[in-house]
Amino acid sequence: MDMTAMCDVAFLLLTFFILTAQIRVQEAAEINPPTSISGIKVPDTDIMTISLDKEGKVFFGIDGQPNRIAMLENIGETYGISFSDREKKAFSLLPNFGIPVNQLKSFLSLKSDQQSQVKQPGVPVDSTASLQTNQLSQWVFNARKANNKLRIAVKGDNLAKFPNFKNVLSSLQSQNINKFNLITGTEAPPAGWTND
Amino acid sequence: MADIDAGGGGGGKHKGGKVRSKKGSTRVDMTPMVDLGFLLITFFILASTLSKPSSMTLNVPDKTEKVETEPIKASKVMTIFLGKENQIHYIFGKAANEDPELKTVQFGPEIRNALQENKQKIGEKDFVVVIKPTAESTYKNLVDMLDEMAITKTKRYALVDQLTPDENKLIADKMK
Repeated sequence: MDMTAMCDVAFLLLTFFILTAQIRVQEAAEINPPTSISGIKVPDTDIMTISLDKEGKVFFGIDGQPNRIAMLENIGETYGISFSDREKKAFSLLPNFGIPVNQLKSFLSLKSDQQSQVKQPGVPVDSTASLQTNQLSQWVFNARKANNKLRIAVKGDNLAKFPNFKNVLSSLQSQNINKFNLITGTEAPPAGWTND
Repeated sequence: MADIDAGGGGGGKHKGGKVRSKKGSTRVDMTPMVDLGFLLITFFILASTLSKPSSMTLNVPDKTEKVETEPIKASKVMTIFLGKENQIHYIFGKAANEDPELKTVQFGPEIRNALQENKQKIGEKDFVVVIKPTAESTYKNLVDMLDEMAITKTKRYALVDQLTPDENKLIADKMK
């Protein structure tokens, strides 16, 4: 049988998928965001993602490996921990994480396949300004110190309870961050709806 | 190709007199290549996220900045409470201590119609929605509600995370 035509089709499709696809990153937690009719796309660069899973655990991540290292150095200064180059390198490979600062060193010493098996407890967050119980606000502060162009995206799970979201909200608001993006899935607007 | 016919002589081995070199077929068997192509396609489909997530912007008022504004008249406000099990309770036109009628609706067309009806009663410009999620509501409820604001094109809405004692009592009474 003449396979040439079929081969053409296969490689055409392959080219299409390579060009349009973005490789899925290994997330620390599985999150199913709710859908909205909003058509604004999430920017790829200069973005800080705060994820909220269904148990209310908070995960944090920023883009760009140099930024991640700078952020870790800032955090180390705040909490009086020094990180080795190897730990910095391991940290820069994490797209997001949910580890309290005092467990960070032991987590970073693990191999990457062991890291994925660790059940991450989430970044501690509450509505106070305490260094220990509200570490999220420290991460946000130090991330913005590392890259002041960062935009903030909050990605919550469908089943996350509102009080958990409220804690995230208040720790952002206490730093005068009043504008952020909520990451949602895409949903078709109702018939006849126009954006104006 | 290099054969030159000496003409005439020799045996009648070559008919027609010319020696043709054997022409190999130029066709290549494409089957393994097709296999490889589809294998790669499968890999890319599975390893990629096709639809990029969208985002909705949420602006909240500055907490540190105190701006004295005129209190909004309760007669123009629709207060929406996001309750448990995806229920929406709302009061319209009255404050919580004025014995308002607490209605319960579901997400979807019900709340959309209620919003649109009330908006028409008050008029587009003065209609204010206050969204108050209770501790039992989920993040999905909040996003869906903000989405309804976008769908019904309600420009003036506020997200308030604290319920007044009157409102708590109102909902507790209803839930009995």
